[in-house]
Parts: sequence; structure tokens; C-alpha cells
Amino acid sequence: MFRNPREGLALALPAVIFATLLFLVPVAILLSEAFRADGGWSVQGYIDFFSVPLHRTVFLRTLKLGVLVAGTAAVIGYAAAFCIVNLDPKSRGRVFGLVVLPLMISPVARTYAWIVILGRTGIVNETIMGLGLSQTPLRLLFTETAVFIGLLQLFLPLMIISLVSAMENIPRDVIPAARVLGANWFAVFFKVILPLTKEGLVIGGTLVFTGALTAYITPAILGGSKVLMLETLLYQRVNVANDFVSASVIAMILIVMSFAANLLLKRIATARGR
Amino acid sequence: MKQLIPAIILGCASASSAAANQTLTISVYSFAQDEYREALYAPFEEMCGCRLVVETGNSVERMAKIEANAANPVIDMAVISTQDALSLARKGLIAPLDTTRLSNFDQLYESAKDPIGDNMAVGYTYYATSIVYRSDLVEISSWADLLGDALAGQVTLPNITTTQGPLTLMMLGKALGHENDYAPVLSAIGARSDDIVTFYSRSSELVQLMNQQEVIAAPVGRFAWGSFKNSALPFAWADPAEGQAGGMNVMVMTAGNGNEDLAYQFMDYWLSVEVQTKIGEMLVDSPANREVVLSDEAAENLTYGAEVIDALNILSAAEILDQREDWVNQWNNEVIR
Repeated sequence: MFRNPREGLALALPAVIFATLLFLVPVAILLSEAFRADGGWSVQGYIDFFSVPLHRTVFLRTLKLGVLVAGTAAVIGYAAAFCIVNLDPKSRGRVFGLVVLPLMISPVARTYAWIVILGRTGIVNETIMGLGLSQTPLRLLFTETAVFIGLLQLFLPLMIISLVSAMENIPRDVIPAARVLGANWFAVFFKVILPLTKEGLVIGGTLVFTGALTAYITPAILGGSKVLMLETLLYQRVNVANDFVSASVIAMILIVMSFAANLLLKRIATARGR
Repeated sequence: MKQLIPAIILGCASASSAAANQTLTISVYSFAQDEYREALYAPFEEMCGCRLVVETGNSVERMAKIEANAANPVIDMAVISTQDALSLARKGLIAPLDTTRLSNFDQLYESAKDPIGDNMAVGYTYYATSIVYRSDLVEISSWADLLGDALAGQVTLPNITTTQGPLTLMMLGKALGHENDYAPVLSAIGARSDDIVTFYSRSSELVQLMNQQEVIAAPVGRFAWGSFKNSALPFAWADPAEGQAGGMNVMVMTAGNGNEDLAYQFMDYWLSVEVQTKIGEMLVDSPANREVVLSDEAAENLTYGAEVIDALNILSAAEILDQREDWVNQWNNEVIR
């Protein structure tokens, strides 16, 4: 594209300098804290972190909710994406707009809406009690279920968008051909749709899983201090205990989990494609 | 004479210019800044001809800033809790106060004069801590009611890391018969953890929980009562058999800030009857100056008067500081799990 490679380098230089000075260097300094102890390099911070039972619980809960949210988003996302790509172009645009709409609303507002819905006097409890299914309001807020629902609602659009984009690239005749040749819908999905949309699944899965891991507002509001996740624990360590070493350890764990999820999904997708 | 007059004018002008150039940097809690501006900051700036730089934030952020700039202090004076003040004192980050430079010092309640020892701090406001509850749904007569069956699934407690957390521990200890050993109290909270909706960190969070009817009772500082008293829901302030807990916020001087004169002037003004009355009438802070006379309405809503203040159960800053780590560890293992 450039006759002289230096022109390309010159154009990229401001962005590279900006990203290096204002992102990479500060992040490197922060993360290096997680490997410092007594003036030297050490993994003691990690040993100390995981030696606390609460921290292990929070780590496993974060991993569990991340996997559950990403998995559920994939199941719902495939069904929704399949419906959307099979609509006529006009309806497809409208429905796709509805899917994207929540992304334009603040996560804080969306999360607070769940307080109204899931609260003791909220719509869900009023319906349950109105139907006579329970005499007293159910405890829905400040539970893992509330955090799961909030995160799923927050990140589902990202999965749907990724899968719609992937499904639009499936040749139109492939699915009818598979059906004509006797494949049931189960076989069509696993042998045709899934292999052809694996890139979208990897992108969507990574976005949703990483988003669920690193979300702060939703677990903080819907989970409170009894359903701590790594991100809310990180905030507590900095803002309550002024403990930047533990905070750096948590930040590093979150980064490793995000990269690991991406690599794992890519590996699964590649293995299935062979 | 002809030479003397311009010299005097020049001298006055340069003195006035020096005062105008003087800046005092204070570190305060974030709340009620408009009221503080009106009752304290603006009148003080006018009086001293200087400029106030007001830094706000939570306690941890503000303490971290004082510690990070210890060699060359940016903050001249700060207002914080007694335990945070003692923590700064133990690190040598604050200087002892020369109370002879505070003309209003003698007017303070005795407990406000030297709350953490060695004259390292002076109290400027008190707060009582009791239980706010829904009077139409429950009766509260003891701190032990917080862990009783009547409130199961409808109560919240302050997180142990908050200022209200240790005070709640102390009062539950009194109610449960463990006055000087809080380990069994923490275990008792842990045993009822599933019945406690959540552990709140900020009083604003509690206001929301109570107004949305997620909980019907919780311990809270009297400073938050203003957010409950005008609610459409019938909230009441409990008078438990074990009494009310209490605490104090204090003023401290950072060590070696070089701006001590102006800082003393500001502290003294804040402790004056005039300012403490104004801030009290605004329902912002309860006065630590015993000469302050408040209206009935303000008195009703604040922690006011010798009788109330003397009856408060106050947990020593040293005990909180020395025990906090053990409390937090036990809390994490038995309560949050």
C-alpha cells in the first residue's frame, strides 16, 4: 500500500507512542507489582492470594459465572441469530436494531433496572406471589442468580452480533442441502452450522467471557459484598485496604483468564474443523 | 514623611498580596461540600484573604495521598476518623497539635480534646450509631434483635471494613455477652450469614436498600438519619437496651507541611461556636463545641448535647487498628465465605 514503508511507520507512530506511554507502560508497572516482594522478584503475592479461602471461592465463582454466562449466551445467541438471518431484509434490520439497542444504554441504568425487577417488591416477586407460588417474597437480589441474569443481559447482544455476522456468510443452499440429504436439525447444527460459524463463536465467546470476568457495576450492584467476583474484590483491595499487590495479582489473573479463554476457544474451534 | 507614606502603602500592599497568595490545602470527606462552602470555606477565605484548595475522596484515597507525599506534603490538614488518624500518627505522617494555638479548644467536649493521645488530633464532630428500622413491621429493643428470627432475611449489617462495622461488632458483643472478645460475635454473625441480605459499605447504599424495602432494619450512623426521616415509609431510630455506639471525626495536621499558621487558623475557625452552629443547623455535622446551642429541630436530628455524647459507647481507635486485620480475616472466613 505504501511505496515507502517509512510512510506507514510514520502514520502508525502517534498511535504506537500513545498506546505505549499511556497504556502498556502503566499496565506493565501495575502488573510488575504482582511479582515484587522484599525488593526482589517473587510469586509470593500469588501464593498469599490463593492461600486465602475466600479468594479461592471468588476465583472459582468468577470462572463459573464467566463460563455459564458465555455458554448460555452461545445457546440463546445461536437460536436468535438463526432466526434473524432467516428474516426478510426489512424485518432483519429492525430485529437487529432491537438487539443492538441495549448496548446504547448505560450498563448502570440496565443493572439498576434489575433491582426493580428482582427486588422483594419487584415484578418477579409480585407475579410469583400473585400466582400463589410463594407466600413470602423470594430472595433474588444479592445472589449468584442475580449476577448471572445481569451479566447475561449485559453481554448477550455481543454474542448475537458475532453469530449473526458469522451466519450471514453461510452459503444459502448448505442447510437445505443437508436437510434434503436426511440430516436432522441436531446434525445440521453440529455438522454444518457450528463448523461454519466457529470464528463468530470464538469472537463472541471471548467477548462475553472476558466481559463477564471484568464487569464491575453489575456484580457490585446485583451481588453486593456477599457475592464477590474478582473485579469487585480488586476494587475492595484498592479502595478499602489500599492493597495494590493483591489488586495487581487479581488484575494479572483476569488477564491470564481472558487470554486462556480465547486460546481455548480457538483450539476447540480448530480441533472441530479438522 | 513624604517618603514614609508610600513606604507604608507599599508595605500594606505587599502584606495583602502575600496573604492573597497564601494557599491552604485541606483533605475532607466528599459529602455536603456545598454546605461547607457556604458555612466554612467561603467565610474563612474572606477572613484570611487566602485561598482554600479542597481535596475530597474516600478515607483510603486521602490517606494514600498523604502517605505518598510524606516527604513534601501536599495536604496541610485533614479531617478523618479516629482510627485513620491513629494509623497516620503511627506512621509519623501527622504532627502533634499545639492546642494553645486553638482559641476554641477549651470549649470542646472533654472526649474531643485528645481522642487518640499525644495531642495528635482534635475532634470536630460526633456521631451516634444505632439501628434504623421499619416501625410498622418490627420492634427493636436490643442490638441482638439484628440476629434474631424476626429479622431473618430482612436485615443488613455494615461491612467490617467500614467505620460502622466495628461499632456494630462492639454493640452486638455487649448484647450477646462478649464485651471484650469479638471472635464469638463474628462467629455468631457468620452463623446467621444466610439471613443477612447483604453487607453494605456506604450509608447511601443502605438508604436505597431500606427505601426499596429489601431490608427493614440496619445499624447506621446518625449522620444518615436525614435521608430516612422524610421518607414516605415509617422509619424509626432505635433506643436499644445496650445504648448507642458512637464515634468521632477528627482534624489532623500533616507533619512538616510548612503551612501550620494558616492550618491552625482554619482549624480554630472550624471549631468556633459560629461555624459549628451553622454546620449543625444545616444538619451536616454534630458539634464538638459544647457552647453551641442548636434549634430543637437540629438537636433532634444530630448527636447533640453532653448527656447524649457522654452516654455513647465509643470503641478506642487503638483497639480498632490493632484488631482490624484479625477481624477482617475472621469475617472473610466465617461471614462472607
